Amino acid sequence: MRWIVLVAVAIATLLVAVALGPVHLGLGDVVRAIGGGGAPTTVSIVRDLRLPRALLAFLVGGSLAVTGAALQALVRNPLADPYLLGLSGGAGLGAVLALALHAAGAWAVPAWAAIGALLAIALVYRLAIVAGGVLDTRILLLAGVVVGAFAAALVAAVLALSPAREVRGALLWLLGSFEGTSWGAVIVFGAYAVVPLAVLYRASRPLDLLSLGEEPARFLGTNVETLKRVLYVAASLLTAAAVAVSGIIGFVGLVIPHAVRLVWGHTHRTLLPAAFLLGGILLAGADTVARVAFAPVSLPVGVVTAVVGVPVFAVLLRRWTT
Amino acid sequence: MDDLIFAARDVSFRYPRADTDAVHAVSLGVERGELIALAGPNGSGKTTLLRLLLGVLIPSGGVVETFGRAAHTWDRRALARRVGVVVQREEPVFPLRVREAVALGRYPHLRPLAPLGPKDREAVDAALARADATALADRWIGTLSGGEWQRVRVARALAQEPEVLVLDEATAGLDIRHEMEVLELVADLVRERGLTGVLVTHNVNLAARFVDRLAILDRGRAAAVGSPAEVLTRDVLERVFRWPVEIVPWHGVPQVVALRAAEAAGAADPAGWQSGRVAGGAGEAEASGNGDPE
Amino acid sequence: MRFYPIVVVALSVAACGRGPATGTRIVVDDAGRSVAVRPPVRRIVSLSPATTELLFAIGAGDRVVGRTQWGTAPAAARTVPVVGEGLRPNVEAIVARRPDLVIAYASPGNEQAVAALGRLGIPTIEFRIDRLEDVARGARLLGPVLGDSAHADSLADRFMAAIDSARTTTDTTGPTVLLLAWTDPPIVIGGTSFQSQVVRLAGGRNVFADIAKPSAEVSLETIAARNPDLVVLTGAADTAWTTRAAWRTVPAVRAGHFVRMAGTAFAWPSFRALEAARELHQALMRWRH
Repeated sequence: MRWIVLVAVAIATLLVAVALGPVHLGLGDVVRAIGGGGAPTTVSIVRDLRLPRALLAFLVGGSLAVTGAALQALVRNPLADPYLLGLSGGAGLGAVLALALHAAGAWAVPAWAAIGALLAIALVYRLAIVAGGVLDTRILLLAGVVVGAFAAALVAAVLALSPAREVRGALLWLLGSFEGTSWGAVIVFGAYAVVPLAVLYRASRPLDLLSLGEEPARFLGTNVETLKRVLYVAASLLTAAAVAVSGIIGFVGLVIPHAVRLVWGHTHRTLLPAAFLLGGILLAGADTVARVAFAPVSLPVGVVTAVVGVPVFAVLLRRWTT
Repeated sequence: MDDLIFAARDVSFRYPRADTDAVHAVSLGVERGELIALAGPNGSGKTTLLRLLLGVLIPSGGVVETFGRAAHTWDRRALARRVGVVVQREEPVFPLRVREAVALGRYPHLRPLAPLGPKDREAVDAALARADATALADRWIGTLSGGEWQRVRVARALAQEPEVLVLDEATAGLDIRHEMEVLELVADLVRERGLTGVLVTHNVNLAARFVDRLAILDRGRAAAVGSPAEVLTRDVLERVFRWPVEIVPWHGVPQVVALRAAEAAGAADPAGWQSGRVAGGAGEAEASGNGDPE
Repeated sequence: MRFYPIVVVALSVAACGRGPATGTRIVVDDAGRSVAVRPPVRRIVSLSPATTELLFAIGAGDRVVGRTQWGTAPAAARTVPVVGEGLRPNVEAIVARRPDLVIAYASPGNEQAVAALGRLGIPTIEFRIDRLEDVARGARLLGPVLGDSAHADSLADRFMAAIDSARTTTDTTGPTVLLLAWTDPPIVIGGTSFQSQVVRLAGGRNVFADIAKPSAEVSLETIAARNPDLVVLTGAADTAWTTRAAWRTVPAVRAGHFVRMAGTAFAWPSFRALEAARELHQALMRWRH
């Protein structure tokens, strides 16, 4: 059954992500290191570097995919992805400012990125509330694009005025990376993500109805206004955390929902969990490729997801229109 | 006992930033088991009144009760278990099969994450059969014709197993065959199953032939409420639609024929028409008053 | 590095002559273009910090009338007005300084500016000082153009001789060193950079010398596996990253074995590279004991 295959591939991807890396380790050494045995460097690499990294990549990939699916239903647009809401621009601006101003602290960049994202979320939300307190999803989209573009312009300005080294570092951060992931990050993100994911999953049925349109959804029992707000807030907060912790990694939120729909259909009750697993597989796999492809040089993970994502998307488009 | 599904008493509503009320001091009751139509020209407030009855809008004046409770206090899921609404136009974003689309009508009955059970599947099958859409069950909704899509949506409303079926301009744009099929279906359901039916339409003639009662709205006010014979008079219609008409009986039901200029010249009171009896205007509005059910 | 031929068209300068050159000189620059420079050259705009420092070193500092904001060495250079960035330079600001020679960093991104300057009749030489040899090469190239090749040549000769002798006396089993340019994500300095050369001169070994690029992003696990003895930091003083659990998988980070090379001698190639190598050498020796 499809679920068994999906779960099996997910586990396999995680194992491969731990077993493979720019540093060549024998499979036996890896297995032993997970238990804590073997050379200290190997144990260190496997337990302190590869394991948390693989897990975080999986969690972030899954979160982005679920968010993408929910947003596509919310704005009734199959081209929606988590970054359409402008918050990637806000997060990028926060991070770049933190880098340019040499903000102190090991968590400075993620913290500033999160704040930037939250400000962008609030601004877009405010813009999208029209007369009568109704959240207009078309204005939501437009506001997201506008806020994102504005933030991107500011990012460009900051980078233009920064020395070359900061520019490069900032650009690489923006392109996404799981370098430096610690168990702390995994636990914090994991604990934080549970709530928005649960909220989105619980809204599975209303999401199905929302795809019909606001009025039909309302007459089929949905509190449309409440639902829109809840979805927007949950999706934004989840994406903000993902961006804060790993930069802007594109295509996962856009492509995975469509790939999953081809096999699992549109019912969000099954679509969302499948999207989570497939998103995790994609991102954990992409991170492995990013580390290994040109070893010892690492690629930004966003590059790999784009290189994989674009052809996949092209194939999906063809299936869609036939 | 007066079992009123919907009861509007002196209800008014004004949209934000509008100059006038969209609905003004309308009183109307919809009894259980009847088939009633809300009719009137564009902009007469039919759809607004419907939204007030369904609790989507909160009245600025007067009271609206649904099943005995203030309409806007109803939990939407609870209401969706009792009232099925088919709107005029619907454009889903994602492709679905007909059976899945009809199954959406079961959602008001399902707990948040519970899957569809055997009872739900039976309800879907029954709804498809009743709406004569069983043959369409495995088709993609994007491949359906206008009439077929409408039938599917009626099936979805039936899958809700409602007590009340509401069609909001749902047959506009359908050809004769499909329109008649849908209306016959609704009339059958009202007659056989004791459903209550509410049709919102601007096709007065068709409504008159199916319904027990007719409420004509004119610029937000109830121009006349009663049986088709009572309501469809030249006096009322020429005032509301502002056009000369002739009433022609058809199997006991009055049918409205809009007159052409040449025909109006040969009618009973050409001078009256030309003198402004059907000129309409704001001054005529106060004559419409509140139509009482009985 | 190969020497680029300098073709002298008119009367050539005698090997020990210090008098002003007469006639136009043709210089073939690093972009392969032949640039005609008419001496005397009195007003020079230098668009890279290494070139700025080199000009001062060969005695032409008083002729530098424009520099980039990063060209802060030697101290005397700071009084020279800034004309903007070295990459995609501001042509207007350069022209405002009325130069009779512009030395730009050889890069495709500068082609437009160089062409614009050429159209305005300002000779522009494109040059790259990326490695230590380029410093000597630059001195030899610019000496004749500035009318004093003897001084420049002698500086270049002494510099190269010192490098060669330092190379032959290094210990090939010196401490391994990680040259860290950025931490989030980790960017290390590779084997083709001049910093890698300085490390070698100081008796150390760049743990990423196998990367044939000036710099690259690498994975933390690679750094941990290569286990450098010391981490050389260039750049900002922020050390918050050293407390992050992922970085502490690198033993040198855990033990706090850092060397900070903050001066500009480690930022771009110059004659002071030998000083930088000495400084680093002392730090490496301290670590050893």
